[in-house]
Amino acid sequence: MVGRHTLTDPTKQSSDTMNTRRNFLQQLGSGFGSMALLGLLRDEDSLAGSVDPGTGRTVQILHHPAKAKRVVQLFMGGAASHVDLFDYKPALEKHHGEPSDFGEHVEAFQDGLGPWMKSPFKFRPYGECGKYLSDVVEPLGDVVDDIAFIHNIVGKTGVHSQATYLQSTGFDTPGFPGMGCWISYALGSMNDNLPTFVVMPDHRGYASNGPKNWSAAFLPTHHQGTIIRPGTENPIADLLPAAKYVTQESDNRALELLTQFNRKHQETRLGDPRLEARIRSYELAAKMQLSTPEALDLSDEPQHILQMYGLDHGRTSFGEEINPVEETEYFSRKCLVARRLLERGVRFVQIWSGNDNGFPRRNWDSHEDISRDHGPLAMGMSRGASALIKDLKQRGMLEETVILWTTEFGRMPSTQDNKGRDHNPYCFTNWLCGGGIRGGITYGESDQWGYKPLDRENPMQVYDVHATILHLLGIDHQRLTVRHNGVDRRLTDVHGHVIAPLIS
Amino acid sequence: MLFRQILVLMACCGLADDQRSPDGREASLRIFRDHVAPLLESRCLSCHTDAEAEGDFSLETAAALRESGHVVPGSPQNSHLLSVLAGEDDKPPRMPQEAEPLGEQERAWLTEWIRTGAAWPRDRQLALARVADRNWWSLQPLQRTTIPQVPTPAWSRNPIDHFVLARLEDKMLTASPEAGRRKLVRRLVFDLLGLPPTPSQVATFLEDRAPDAYERLVDRLLASPRYGERWARHWLDVAHYADTHGYDKDKVRPHAWPYRDYVIRSFNEDKPYGRFVMEQIAGDVLWPGTVDGVTATGFISAGPWDFIGHAEIPETKIDGRVARNLDRDDMVSSTLNTFCSTTIQCARCHNHKYDPITQEHYYSLQSVFAALDRADRSYDADPKTAARRASLNRKESELLAEKAVLDARLERAAGDELAAIDAELATLENQQPSSKAEKPEFGYHSNIETQPDIAKWVQVDLGRSRPIGFIVYVGCHDSFNDIGSGFGFPPRYKVEVSDDADFQLGVTSLVDHTQNDIANPGTEPQIVQSPVGLKGRYVRITATRLAQRKDDYHFALAEILVLTPDCHNVARNRKVTSLDSIEAPVRWQRKNLVDGHYPNATTLPPVLARIAGLQQQRKGLLASALHGDLKVLVTANQAVLQEVTDAVKALPPLAKVYAGTVHHGKGKNFVGTGANGGRPRVIHVLSRGNILSPTEEARPGTIPVIPGTNWRFPLPPSHSEGDRRAALAGWLVSDDNPLTWRSIVNRVWQYHFGHGIVDSPNDFGRMGKPPSHPQLLDWLAIEFRDRGQSLKKLHKLLVSSAVYRQSSAHNRRNSQLDSENVYLWRMGRRRLTAEEIRDTVLEVSGRLNPAMFGPGFELFVMEHPDHSPHYEYHKHDPDDPPSLRRSIYRLIVRSQPDPFMTTLDCADSSQSVPTRDETVTALQALSLLNNKFMLRMSVHFSDRLAAESKNTSEQVQYAFQQVTGHLPTENQHQALMRYTNEHGTDNLCRLLFNLNEFVFVD
Repeated sequence: MVGRHTLTDPTKQSSDTMNTRRNFLQQLGSGFGSMALLGLLRDEDSLAGSVDPGTGRTVQILHHPAKAKRVVQLFMGGAASHVDLFDYKPALEKHHGEPSDFGEHVEAFQDGLGPWMKSPFKFRPYGECGKYLSDVVEPLGDVVDDIAFIHNIVGKTGVHSQATYLQSTGFDTPGFPGMGCWISYALGSMNDNLPTFVVMPDHRGYASNGPKNWSAAFLPTHHQGTIIRPGTENPIADLLPAAKYVTQESDNRALELLTQFNRKHQETRLGDPRLEARIRSYELAAKMQLSTPEALDLSDEPQHILQMYGLDHGRTSFGEEINPVEETEYFSRKCLVARRLLERGVRFVQIWSGNDNGFPRRNWDSHEDISRDHGPLAMGMSRGASALIKDLKQRGMLEETVILWTTEFGRMPSTQDNKGRDHNPYCFTNWLCGGGIRGGITYGESDQWGYKPLDRENPMQVYDVHATILHLLGIDHQRLTVRHNGVDRRLTDVHGHVIAPLIS
Repeated sequence: MLFRQILVLMACCGLADDQRSPDGREASLRIFRDHVAPLLESRCLSCHTDAEAEGDFSLETAAALRESGHVVPGSPQNSHLLSVLAGEDDKPPRMPQEAEPLGEQERAWLTEWIRTGAAWPRDRQLALARVADRNWWSLQPLQRTTIPQVPTPAWSRNPIDHFVLARLEDKMLTASPEAGRRKLVRRLVFDLLGLPPTPSQVATFLEDRAPDAYERLVDRLLASPRYGERWARHWLDVAHYADTHGYDKDKVRPHAWPYRDYVIRSFNEDKPYGRFVMEQIAGDVLWPGTVDGVTATGFISAGPWDFIGHAEIPETKIDGRVARNLDRDDMVSSTLNTFCSTTIQCARCHNHKYDPITQEHYYSLQSVFAALDRADRSYDADPKTAARRASLNRKESELLAEKAVLDARLERAAGDELAAIDAELATLENQQPSSKAEKPEFGYHSNIETQPDIAKWVQVDLGRSRPIGFIVYVGCHDSFNDIGSGFGFPPRYKVEVSDDADFQLGVTSLVDHTQNDIANPGTEPQIVQSPVGLKGRYVRITATRLAQRKDDYHFALAEILVLTPDCHNVARNRKVTSLDSIEAPVRWQRKNLVDGHYPNATTLPPVLARIAGLQQQRKGLLASALHGDLKVLVTANQAVLQEVTDAVKALPPLAKVYAGTVHHGKGKNFVGTGANGGRPRVIHVLSRGNILSPTEEARPGTIPVIPGTNWRFPLPPSHSEGDRRAALAGWLVSDDNPLTWRSIVNRVWQYHFGHGIVDSPNDFGRMGKPPSHPQLLDWLAIEFRDRGQSLKKLHKLLVSSAVYRQSSAHNRRNSQLDSENVYLWRMGRRRLTAEEIRDTVLEVSGRLNPAMFGPGFELFVMEHPDHSPHYEYHKHDPDDPPSLRRSIYRLIVRSQPDPFMTTLDCADSSQSVPTRDETVTALQALSLLNNKFMLRMSVHFSDRLAAESKNTSEQVQYAFQQVTGHLPTENQHQALMRYTNEHGTDNLCRLLFNLNEFVFVD
């Protein structure tokens, strides 16, 4: 059962008929041929006429004109260091090695309050805007004039799980839908043969909370992120049958018979749209079987594209130690697949970098050695992200695609052990690009150390970033609500402001 | 600035003492009282009180408002307050933040109030709005109602039908006729057991033409152990049970399952509901020593637990306190959601906006659980063992008390010599290193030099000249520049003793390494035994060649100990001097050299030898003092104590359940309240739910819903934590509790009929739905409460009704009036749940193992179990024998749930799930077609067909009947025959599992 939900006024409930019908439209609309079904239902019931055939949603759904249609979220698991990638701190270079002094008591997650530590990486200015970036994200220099940085994001705690939940779902406890689920719920699908919300986890393991970060929670199940693992036998779970007795012919004939039997069954049970929906769902599943392998097949990508993504390395094994070529292969390939999915109408793609914070580090949780872990991870990430931005731009898709780079929290400007950094939930960086974002700007500074926001009274939070992204998609974050167990839930809880200066 | 100036001018004519016409003031006061005060209280005060003055602005008192200058009495156009409420230049109003703007009428009242002088009654202080209005259906006492009379009594079978028919007639709807018997049996068996009817069940029922055939079928089904397995699943959905913690590093709880088994057992035993409720909150307190009493408290711990937030962060840290606050929030919310259908969780941060629940009520409930954590709790699976263990434990403590008395007597008998030895042992014990944990007080650090061959000394003043037995010194550990152990330890040095602070006169040299470089000993203690009879006041260590740091040189040392010949460290906390020193506390300073902290500190060998000697002496003394009657008593005590200890060891091992319990944690982070004797943590009402903004202390209590009673529990000052939970349990099942009884009958109704009488089963508050049949709800609640609280009787009442037995067929006219079937003019068709589909596939494939209870089976392969387990579902073999059991027994992973089950709308164990989703998606189609479980079970089903018959025609008939409950039509039979002849029975079975008729129940 789906709770009452509405995109307009939570106090007004649409008619029950409309709700039921919309539920099923939504379910099927999650990437599975809303058009065909709509045509079919329209004959039965005139109410369907108020549905926008383009989106499978009621027409009045957008709260204002949208700038963007699609979102890519790049999520760095383990907490990527802002002061080593995007938030240049000359003061750390000047005071490197001196005892750190925060001017107040600091509660560190572990014991990382050693001397101030400069970044092991050099920073240089890029683009017309002259933004300083670290050498390990140098590829992003090419597109820095399209990016808006926010350096004063604050979290709530330095605990990985709570922080990952907060950044992925807007709440620091389990049980809430991921941002992609909300957007799938609000806007529905733009295709009829692929999922609406695709997740590409780091293949070495999930970040904290695993699939709960993209779980639908109290939204209908089909709004959850669908995991795609490019390059594996079944890139989507159960896409194809792995049994010798199932042949192409036995499969096709089975589907025909199923339709025939199910239709017969339905004819004696009128007035139940679920039965029709389920007949359709098998047709849509068949479409997906055809379209997914095609969408994931990179063999038709020209050499210059592979080169741009750094996928022309020609290597198949990468050695024991973490290294930039291997990290580029993993992250950048997902970026290229993301572009192909976006081209084919996938609305939301989430790409993860970093596994479960274990050892050896294949995640951003660099308590021990920033240079060793952040170096290769950042080089792989920035190569892929930069190529994706350029690629979308050259195809005219960037203006309708918002890209969000985010992480759990930041890292301390002081030393942990000798070369590492402890958690810093008090300040970190996000950046946004495309989809109506004003490029080449920095909004919201951190203090001279990158310890806390420069203006401590007015930090940015995940709610503001989420509100801004929903705004770009034409949604008022305060009006996208679902009543669940007595509370009208929002992605932004009871917080959030659209960050107007970020919008072009 | 402008506002302030105006304010000064006008302060005397508004807000304070109005000097306008009495009539104007009267009008202004009236507007204030009737409109403005309620408006400010409900829309503004949540952020603007004296205590919480966002933007430095409070609206609590006239004085505060005056101070702000935001209102200019008599002059609405100059009142800043109005402009932020109105919005300018098409921009939305700035206030109230994150809320609906004020309405036009509301702004008009404010304007008028200001225009008429902004009068504010003397001494009137506004208070944050609370919902005090208790005029809401679910808060009213249960009402006894008479069963309505209806004009078509022939259709009715029991009182439920009267209530439903009466509403149908109100709404101009007509009831449906009874469903066919085949449909009835399939509906009923799935509903009560979660499994398909067996062909013999169907046949028996069809052949039974007795008038009570249906009722007897119901009885047979309710007596089946499969019933508890089906209905426990509903309960566990609400309790959000899982077998892993969730959050980061989602680890397995190996002892969660006894709670799951408890629920199954309780349903099968038809335990009275009141008892079932009380056990889950306080069974260990109310029925101590019973298995159910302990395992039931797995309810409190069923939800997620933040492993890192507890196991890696102590309660002394803010993040640790946040984690524990959120943990208790889950306990409180789960209790009130589950048993009372009340959403209390909103009141963690602010008073409930819709229901009469304040933050005080909420935190009073947190204090009920304030002693608890989620942890394993031991219990005896056999109550007889429990009784025996309790008796042995009592005996043991008596004997230990007796032993203590005897020991004291013996020590007295051993006399002063023993006392002297004990005193010395105590002294030696005292000077032991406190812990092995590395501390930041590294040691002494000299100034840094650019070349090595500079002599630097550091020395300890022992206060007076003392006999010296041993000198011990230890190198530092610092990770700077990867030097690590032995950081700053000089390659050349000497150790000397003298009574002269300047070491000019009477110097004894004990160590001289000044001629050749020695190897760095790391942090290994360097122990030097001094010549017999050596005395001295000062001990000096002089580095004659400094240690290399990076490109520079220095001398550092972690600790110096000077032991007397009988091993007392006389250097501890003595004065340290040196040629020079970098004083950089806490890491580096002279006094760190004698602070007792040094790397890997353990008891030094000479000290150990001394202690061993003393203990040997002690033993001898005691042995010679033991004689006569004392000896008899001691020997007897030892013998009986040994017997008791052996008897305890011989008891069957304790079982464990993961429960809400007082935790006795070892280590430094997750310690619980055990060390405090289970005394509850002090809970404060937290302003805005912020752990850093505590206000008044909360005392145990609940929400105020029982009229004439105090919502605070009347507990004596010395009460235990268990008393708090027992009080809550008693309150929950009180006859007068208006929520508990309605909640449970509504849940049961919902599972049978597809939607509840109240279609928001976890929320009976103002954000929930009103009941469609309020009188029926109360009638059922009272019947249930007063007639044994038997769930099985309730099931029978519900499923025996004519309402339940209706056909699910469509009716165009009724559908136009009530498309959602709120008034039950037909029975709802439903899709099978994830568990029903999996269990049914196993059953018809002949693979279902009906074994009950025990640890959960795994549908995954677990990798990397030590750090963050990876649950690899795709690597699981569907034929793995332990996994061929009903789905209720699977190990449920919270953060990485089974993808196959999730696709089929299985409950999300991260949240309370009162109602399953019922979606239809292409991913479901793919799962049922291609998941390897489905593919493999199709083969087993097909093998079963081969065993049934050699004849394809019969095989097709048999298979179709297994899946749908009836034979195929002739056309269907022909079509399936053709398909089977061409593609085999494996493919046939795969096809049948995908029929709509299989997954839907009419």
